[in-house]
Amino acid sequence: MTKIKGKKEVTMKLDRRRFIQCAAASSAVATAGALFPGISFADWPKITGNSGMVSWQKAPCRFCGTGCGVLVGVADGRAVAVKGDPNCSVNKGLCCMKGYHSVQALYGADRLTKAKVRKNGQMVEVPIQEALDLVAEKLKETKDKHGKDSVAIYGSGQWTIPDGYVASKLFKGCLGTNNVEANARLCMASAVTGFITTFGIDEPMGCYEDIDNANVFITWGNNMAEMHPVLFSRMLANRKRRKDVTLIDFATRMTRTSQASDKSILFKPQTDLAVANAICHEIIANDWVNWEFVNQHVSFHKGKTNIGYGTEDHFAFTDKAEPIDFEAYKAFLEDYTPEKVERISGVSAKDIKYMAALYGDPSVKVTSFWCMGMNQHTRGTWINNLVYNIHLLVGKISMPGNGPFSLTGQPSACGTVREVGTLTHKLPHGVVMNEQARKHAAEIWQVPVTNIDPKPTYHTVEMFRALDRGDIKFIWIQVTNPMVTMPNLNRYRDGALKDDRFVVVSDVYPTPTTDVADVILPAAMWIEQEGMFGNSERRTQHFAQIVDPPGEAMSDTWQIIEVARRLGFEKQFPWSEKDYIEKIWEEYRLFHAGPKHEMAPYSVLAKRSGVQWPFVDGKETRWRFNPKYDPACTNGKDFDFYGKKDNRAWIWARPYEPAAESPDSEYPFWLNTGRIIEHWHTGSMTRRIPVLNNAVPTSYVELNPEDAADLGVVNGEKVKIISRRGEVIMPAQINGRGVPPRGMVFVPFFDESFLINEVTLDAFCPISKQPDYKKCAVRLEKA
Amino acid sequence: MVTAVAAFCLFATLAIIEMSVAVSGALAAEVNLEDFDHQGNELYEAYDATPEIFLSADSGDRTLADYYSRRQYPGSPPIIPHPVDLTFSGNETDCLSCHAKGGYSAEFGKFTPVTPHPDNALCYQCHVQETTDELFVGSDWQSIDPPRLGRSALAGSPPMIPHVLQMRENCIACHSGPGAVAEIRVSHADRGNCRQCHVPAPQTAPIKEFHRQ
Repeated sequence: MTKIKGKKEVTMKLDRRRFIQCAAASSAVATAGALFPGISFADWPKITGNSGMVSWQKAPCRFCGTGCGVLVGVADGRAVAVKGDPNCSVNKGLCCMKGYHSVQALYGADRLTKAKVRKNGQMVEVPIQEALDLVAEKLKETKDKHGKDSVAIYGSGQWTIPDGYVASKLFKGCLGTNNVEANARLCMASAVTGFITTFGIDEPMGCYEDIDNANVFITWGNNMAEMHPVLFSRMLANRKRRKDVTLIDFATRMTRTSQASDKSILFKPQTDLAVANAICHEIIANDWVNWEFVNQHVSFHKGKTNIGYGTEDHFAFTDKAEPIDFEAYKAFLEDYTPEKVERISGVSAKDIKYMAALYGDPSVKVTSFWCMGMNQHTRGTWINNLVYNIHLLVGKISMPGNGPFSLTGQPSACGTVREVGTLTHKLPHGVVMNEQARKHAAEIWQVPVTNIDPKPTYHTVEMFRALDRGDIKFIWIQVTNPMVTMPNLNRYRDGALKDDRFVVVSDVYPTPTTDVADVILPAAMWIEQEGMFGNSERRTQHFAQIVDPPGEAMSDTWQIIEVARRLGFEKQFPWSEKDYIEKIWEEYRLFHAGPKHEMAPYSVLAKRSGVQWPFVDGKETRWRFNPKYDPACTNGKDFDFYGKKDNRAWIWARPYEPAAESPDSEYPFWLNTGRIIEHWHTGSMTRRIPVLNNAVPTSYVELNPEDAADLGVVNGEKVKIISRRGEVIMPAQINGRGVPPRGMVFVPFFDESFLINEVTLDAFCPISKQPDYKKCAVRLEKA
Repeated sequence: MVTAVAAFCLFATLAIIEMSVAVSGALAAEVNLEDFDHQGNELYEAYDATPEIFLSADSGDRTLADYYSRRQYPGSPPIIPHPVDLTFSGNETDCLSCHAKGGYSAEFGKFTPVTPHPDNALCYQCHVQETTDELFVGSDWQSIDPPRLGRSALAGSPPMIPHVLQMRENCIACHSGPGAVAEIRVSHADRGNCRQCHVPAPQTAPIKEFHRQ
């Protein structure tokens, strides 16, 4: 099989596809006629000849990590409506615009319904069984010829739990390679390493009920009003009802969250590290330390400094923890007086003292929220540690309303990636480096323990570098869109297009990632299959198959099972299509037996709108490490941080270090990227939801009004954004919903027509290996 | 209070789940939240707060066709059909200054429709402003028929409530006043206790028959 590859060819492919999209769009508009604004349901074709009855079934929402419960209305085998699930404690019957219109994402006119393989440079439709034969054959051939670490699978936090579980079992257990990674590496790896380094165990101690109990909410670089709107409106409702609630927005640009907050405090990018240390300095200087808590439950440590940025291939880093005492920690903080930090961060000493006083006041309950701002950070692990430091110094943790709360962006980033462990170093329980964990996994998986390699291979950025270098020659990408999301995208797209690379993509719509595929497998989407997601508050959410997948579309789990069987692993993948999800769940549960991580049985998951783990003796655990709520606590004290061997949570001395690339005279602007409320991730689903696409059909670059005036650009005019890696031309938005400070621009990344990740930098946190999409240097030109 | 008819939705949902997975044991939620009786106070509060003259006022400004043209399916959050300034801050008073209580808008020359759920103040969480009518790609979406009007169980009996009450517990908001949709505006909003006569019975759910156990 030959294929014509190279950048030119890709451009042509994209253009051809865009032409078809435009044609489809204009014919739809012709049908809709002059009924602007909006394509209303009055204009859509109606289901005819059915009973008129609608039945409702529960599911978790398809989009963000909040994990709202939805009720999907089905008529005549089609999803036709959505209600919020009143039985689900996450959202209590209210959704956001994406949830309410989520079912429309099933019905885009260009759904992939047949498998395609590349023959003589062209993608040709084939029966899916033939495509699966080819995938298995290529996988085997590549492994035999180039070794087990030349094949890889790359999934995401949109994988269902069974999807991720069978991927790990096949690649780590059967094929013996640790080349298993997921988009969640780009999304919450720093949250994981933050938890592991501070608490020794992953995932938040609190739950969304914290929102109904806290008096002060501090959002750290987190535009919750748009990214987690259902949780944000729950905070607003609490503020309105209880009157003793304050919202503090701590951010690098003005957003809708700033507008709704009582106070907005802007800091210069990367200096959150310094401000967090300054808050701790103030807490100690004013003796707001909760000594009883600190003496009983906290130990102090420092790690390596000047740890690098990972921009070079084969970058390696291992941190080393050294115990220190409180006096050494206090001395470390001397560099972070509010006055000194004011000069670095642009945050006034007064505001730093104000935040410290809120954390330090024993009469108020404080919940801190964060998501991508702290995780997509070249010191992501450190800033997670530093916010935990604040909560630990004042003992505000693991109690209703008091706690640090790390949010996630994908529906099953926690469930599938963190809990199943679809990362190179992880197993469903423990890490590959640990012999006990390998034995445990080999036993459950019924494979020889020697199959499981004790050495991790590539984290996501390095995996795509390996694909570019040719160390990896076969990659199977499921439920994600790396040809939009990889930072420094040009290099990784060129790599995927090289001649002897074989790329398999399982997806529901054509994307820039299917454009580089040699095989496209049509996937069942969301409620077209049975599965489970796991949300940000340790809640596992089951959904039944509610509608049929179109054409030959097949669940990602079943695609992997089909290939595994072709490779001779029938024994490890024995399940029938009738009940494979139940069987997989019950096998997976074996990994988490015990009060620290016990998962609910299938029968319970099937009937409830989500169940929180640890699920012990029929009860959910709402606050971990607190014996009033957590049955895993055994030390007889008022808290038990059982994740660490010393039964303590660790406070870390972590310094401020600058960003990998800061603005200079040649590239004088910060580039910050992110999301907006209408679109989710790369927009491949939300752009096919008419009402959301029609609200925000294209991306744009937010400029500060004064910078725009200097550049001579008005709203809607084109701006060229140039970095050392690439450039993109896109329309300006001035005084829109977000306003960056002078010297910063912000670009939503959902739009494949404006690939902002060709401009971003592939620097990452050396501990978590998560890239920083929020900071690189660019210059602007009027285009 | 759980009426057999109103409880149907929940039963239907659970029945489907039961069929597909054969669950056993007690159901997790004993309270039926589907008929939203727990939020029935919203109607009474709105009734108390609305002047009588306003309850009976009529403008004929909005029709059912306008109403459905804002929605993707019956019950979906309507789009914002008028321009909102780009600087729109999401400040709760911006939308609710008109949509909480209604009244005449000189800017649009119309009476403002009233939201049935002013307690949800983050309006743009669900409601979007359209800026184009061009789709990204075509769609095979199909909708269902809207509820029929005047669905009475017996000739001349009070019509049943054809939609679910979730987010729409406050009947006064949509069914009375000069901003109300003409076809569904009631002539006797001054009575106030709507559910005294009108029974929730979503048209999309079959009437459940009584069987003696």
